[in-house]
This record gives sequence, C-alpha cells and structure tokens, in this order.
Amino acid sequence: MSGLILDDVGFAYGDNAILERIALSVPPGQFVSLLGASGSGKSTLLRLIAGLQSPRRGRLAWNGAQIAGPGIERGVVFQDYALFPWLSMVDNIALAVGKAKPHSGKHERREEAQDYLRKVGLEAAIGKYPFEVSGGMQQRGAIARALALGSPLLLMDEPFGALDPVNRARLQDLLLEIWEDGDGKTRKTIVFVTHDVDEALYLGDRVVILGSAPGRIIADSDVPFARHRERRSLFCSAAFQHKREAIAETLAADMLEHLATA
Amino acid sequence: MNDNAAIAGDALTLPPADNAPATRPALLDRILGWRDPVLFFAALFLAWMLASQWLPLGQNPLLPTPARTFAALLDSLPELWRGTISSLLILVPGFLSATVLGVVAGLWAGSSPRVGNAVFPFARVAAPIPPSVYCPYAIAILPSFQLSAIFLVFVGAFWPIFQNTVAGAHALEARHRDNARILGLAGFEYQRRVVFPAALPHIFAGMAVGLGFSFILLTVAELFGANAGLGRFVQYYADFADYPRMVAGILYTGLVTFTAMTVLEALRRRVLFWVR
Repeated sequence: MSGLILDDVGFAYGDNAILERIALSVPPGQFVSLLGASGSGKSTLLRLIAGLQSPRRGRLAWNGAQIAGPGIERGVVFQDYALFPWLSMVDNIALAVGKAKPHSGKHERREEAQDYLRKVGLEAAIGKYPFEVSGGMQQRGAIARALALGSPLLLMDEPFGALDPVNRARLQDLLLEIWEDGDGKTRKTIVFVTHDVDEALYLGDRVVILGSAPGRIIADSDVPFARHRERRSLFCSAAFQHKREAIAETLAADMLEHLATA
Repeated sequence: MNDNAAIAGDALTLPPADNAPATRPALLDRILGWRDPVLFFAALFLAWMLASQWLPLGQNPLLPTPARTFAALLDSLPELWRGTISSLLILVPGFLSATVLGVVAGLWAGSSPRVGNAVFPFARVAAPIPPSVYCPYAIAILPSFQLSAIFLVFVGAFWPIFQNTVAGAHALEARHRDNARILGLAGFEYQRRVVFPAALPHIFAGMAVGLGFSFILLTVAELFGANAGLGRFVQYYADFADYPRMVAGILYTGLVTFTAMTVLEALRRRVLFWVR
C-alpha cells in the first residue's frame, strides 16, 4: 500500500479524548488540507503522522511501513519558525542535506543548501542568522530545510499562520510552485493543517474537516478547481464562493453542536 | 506643475519632531556613562585618604595610606607577577577540567532521564558541601601541593557548572527537540548540534559562578601550603605585619579576578551572539 494510511486512529491525554476513529487514506502526490477549529486536534494528528507522538489506538502507515517514530521520509514544517538560532541559514539547511545524503562532504552540503535557499528566494540571506531575518524569511528557510531533507511526505502545521497577509499569499504561491514542479513520481504528498478556509481551498486537492471534542473527521471532499490556480480569479469565482460557503457552514454547525454539548 | 511638485515634496518632508532624542556624539555619551562610576571610585579613594592620612587616627599601621600602598604595589610587581603565574598554573587546569567534565556530565545527566535519575540524588548531597572542607584531606592524599590545590579549584568550579548545564539541558525548548527528531539527529550528534548550543547560556552562567568559586578556593588553598601565589603573598606579608604590601596584594588579586571575569564575559558575548 503506497501513500499515507490512517486506520481507526485514536489519541487521548489521560481521559481527555483528543482524536477518535480517524480513518484516512492519502494517495502519493496528493495535497490534502486538514481543516478544523482550534482545539480540534489537527496539530496532534499531524504530530502522530510525524511520529513525534504515538497513538492510543489504531495504526498509521506510510508506504506500507508502520509509523513508529520520526523519520526523514516525513518532513515537518511547524508554525513557530523552527530553525536553530545558533546556526546560520545555510548551516541550518546543510544539516538537513547531511541527513538526506550522509556521505556528502561539508562543502557539497553547503553548496546544495545554498541551492535550496535560492529556490525559496533567500539568496540574500544565505550567510545570515535566523534572528537577523524576518518571520517570513525564517519560514521560507524552514520550507527549504524540509525540501533539503528530501522527504516525499511533507507535513505542515499552520506554517503561514504567524505571517502577515502579503507574506502569507507569497508563501502559499511559492509552496504551490514547488509542489507543482514535481512530476508524477517526484511530486510530494502534503498534509497541510490550517484553520483558514480560503487557504485550505486554494492549496488543496482535497479538504478534510476535523470536528471538535474529540477530533474526528466530519467532512472529506475533493477540491474541484483545476491546477495552476490563479488566486484572484479563483477567489472571485462563483464555484469557489459556493464551496467556501459549504465548508464554513460545516465548521459552524460543528462549533454550534460543540457549544450545545459543552 | 512646479507647484504640484513643490507641494508633493513638502508632504514627503516631515517636520522635525519635538520628542526626537537629541543627537549627542557617541563619544560624549560614553564619557557621560562613565561619570557616575568614576565619581564613586573617587569618593571611595577620598574616604581612604581621610581615614588613613587626613584624620588624626594615630596613623594606624593596619591602615596604610594610598601612597604607601601604591609604592608597595609597584615595588612588589615582579613578585606579584610570579605569584600570578603560580596561581594561574593552579587555577587554569582546575577550572578548565571542571568546565569540560561539568559540561559533559551535565549534558549527559540532563538529557538522559535514566542517568539523571541515578546521579541527581548524589549531586544534591555532594554539591552543597563547602569545597574548602576538602582542603586538609586533599593535601593529605594528593602527592603535591599543586595537585591538591588544582583538585580544590576543580571541586569548587565543577558543581555550579554541572548544575547549570543540567538546567540548560532541561530548558531545551520543545520545538528544538521536535525539530532535532524530525531531522533524525540522535546520540552524540544531537548533543553536539542541539543540546549543547541550546544550553550554552546556562553553561556560561555556571562558568561565571564557577570562576568566582575557583578564585576563592585558590586563595584558600594557598593559605594552607603554597610557597608562591596570590593568596600566599597576602598571607606572607600579613605574617610580617607589612600591611602596605598586604593591601597591595588584595588590590592586585581583585584586579586579576576582575580581568578573568572580563575575559569570560567577552567570550560569552562572542559565543552567544545569537541570544538576544
């Protein structure tokens, strides 16, 4: 079985159920937006896939192999700029290159790291330290590092959540550009966690919605818009508005239900 | 057309703000910053003059005048310099070995729950023992005075460095730990690339405390059995009631300690440039 498989996954802190009966199958190369209100457990679900935490029940597998811990075939980009502050941008990326290519030399790693930084538009920041660049640039660096790791599966936990709207749009476009760059075999599988409906629809092939308390999948639908999406015309189209409305309603209904039972 | 350009130009030029800080030359600023410390030193010096020279206190021999003290200091500089070398030959090996072992042991105990669990109860008992009480025993069991003094300095510096390194390893941010795991960093590489640099602010704090203890134990050890060194110098001239030289020795020791602390602080700033 290739791709990502989640089978009856459950997670809890003590008696507090966080995730319940999560079943999901993501074919290779698909871009899945995982949408949900805060507290719906979507970050926890991503951490389970990353192997940073273990499920209470059920099983997770990537390309047929059970997920038992972190692995470089599953790269992660977190919301808080997670580059190591004591390493320069290029050394941060070179660390990942070294993991992807353990037999490469120091010089080769830095060369390749610079290529990745250029790819995300950071040629001017190669020798700088994370504290010397903006949040948007740090997040570009985090994406470069995930790319440098060469992971076929990319897990992104609200990676643009802390950015201003202009930077957020730029990085969404950059991510799509990088993802669409890959062909059938090299195209990355992406699980992208967000609470922004527009972002989920603009980026994803498919939107999976998590309901709250405990987190469970309450909707799972394909995004019908053709690729090479153009932001402005897409956002103005009636089809987009319609889809957006439907998703917002699903989220609102879940929230009301949650309030009623709480 | 020209009018428009003039208006546009005006709009772009902001009037000087009233609350803008006055632009003072940087040099003057620095000099002004030194004014109060210098005044305080001057006041202390005046008080010394007053007590030792100007007030009729009977010219107490226990309180030498500044002039006699500085004359003694100048006269003793070659001896003090030899004493400094002798002291540093104890201080540097003791402090450096305490730093290396304290950091390695601290990182190990701080990031492995099992090792930490085994070691911490012992550390809690052993660390608070005042290192000076080992002095007679160290002199008894180690073959030379130099070795026993190095050992004392080591014990004094080790515990603060060890404890701060452990605290630094424990304070590792969850996101750095997560990222290290995502990147597949483990074992020695994880320690070297992630835990050690993240703990450096704590390590330097421990080194500063440890360096202070090192000097205390160095001089304590020298009071016991040295034939050279800074503590020995002070003790020797006190025995002969040569108080100008004794006070000169105290001032000189202060200067050496201050220099060592300054060097450590400069190193800290250099290494920890990424800490804001």
